Amino acid sequence: MTTTVMSKQDTLRSALANLRAALPELRGALIATTDGLPITQAMNEGADANRVAAMAATALGLGKRINDTLDSGDLTEMSISGKEGQVYIYAAGRKGVLAVVAPSGMNLGLLHLEARDTAQMISEVL
Amino acid sequence: MTADLMGGPLKLVISGPVGAGKTTFVQTLSETPVIATEAEASEDIGKLNTTVAFDFGTLNLDGQELHIYGTPGQDRFNFMWDVLCEGALGLIVLVAGDRPQDFTHARNILEYITSRNPIPFVIGVTHQDLEYVWRPADLAVYFNLDPLQVMGLNATEPDQARGLLIRLLELTLADAAPVQTPTHTFSLETTC
Repeated sequence: MTTTVMSKQDTLRSALANLRAALPELRGALIATTDGLPITQAMNEGADANRVAAMAATALGLGKRINDTLDSGDLTEMSISGKEGQVYIYAAGRKGVLAVVAPSGMNLGLLHLEARDTAQMISEVL
Repeated sequence: MTADLMGGPLKLVISGPVGAGKTTFVQTLSETPVIATEAEASEDIGKLNTTVAFDFGTLNLDGQELHIYGTPGQDRFNFMWDVLCEGALGLIVLVAGDRPQDFTHARNILEYITSRNPIPFVIGVTHQDLEYVWRPADLAVYFNLDPLQVMGLNATEPDQARGLLIRLLELTLADAAPVQTPTHTFSLETTC
């Protein structure tokens, strides 16, 4: 029983490690439940993973609702951008959220490529 | 129909610990389809879903348009309490009367919100249909509040839900019109 749980965590941890390795400029990445609890995190020092997890869940919940109202189908991702940074939030299966915190000016094509792959992998684990 | 008393919709916020009945309360009261933002709960909170952003509903009470926002209950979402309370003119804190283990948390939520937003508030003690449940009078003592500010209700009963709302509105309008204007008295029968 314990071994199964451990390997899920390990899979998720290595998924985030790979993501951060592929995108070295990232400020952080974390996986949370859709009700805002962190599952695995790879955030830069000083970041409050609990806070980010809750906010990502709130944003995703809100985004899903807006999407439903506009008849846009299942929510896949959303972004919040500021002058000095941005966060990309991806649905990871029915119960998961992947949050990717990046500085401004990142190569978004590459970011989305890597992050979407990671989100897909996460959805298979959760 | 009577004219708008405050010249626009009144924004009210419903907060309180998880499982107090906030989402239910908004759903009971709303005359328009409720916008809810629920996600599957990963913790054991006694129910399947939990609010992660807010609930939104509206109703018209004797000509006064009301916009009602329900908040999430967990502390990790307390940034939403601040967001939702912006421009709010009244607060309802719901607490389940059969969960005394949540009373301190309810008091903390009340403190957190009212210290940042000094608005009129009432406490609603839910699950009053249960046999073994704390009554409003007990909670008034616990919160050290005027008993008028603490009411019992079942969040699924429209009349009781409206009753709590009316109590808040009476307090809100008493605050807003301290001079000679007589406080409007709301009736339970909606005239729409």
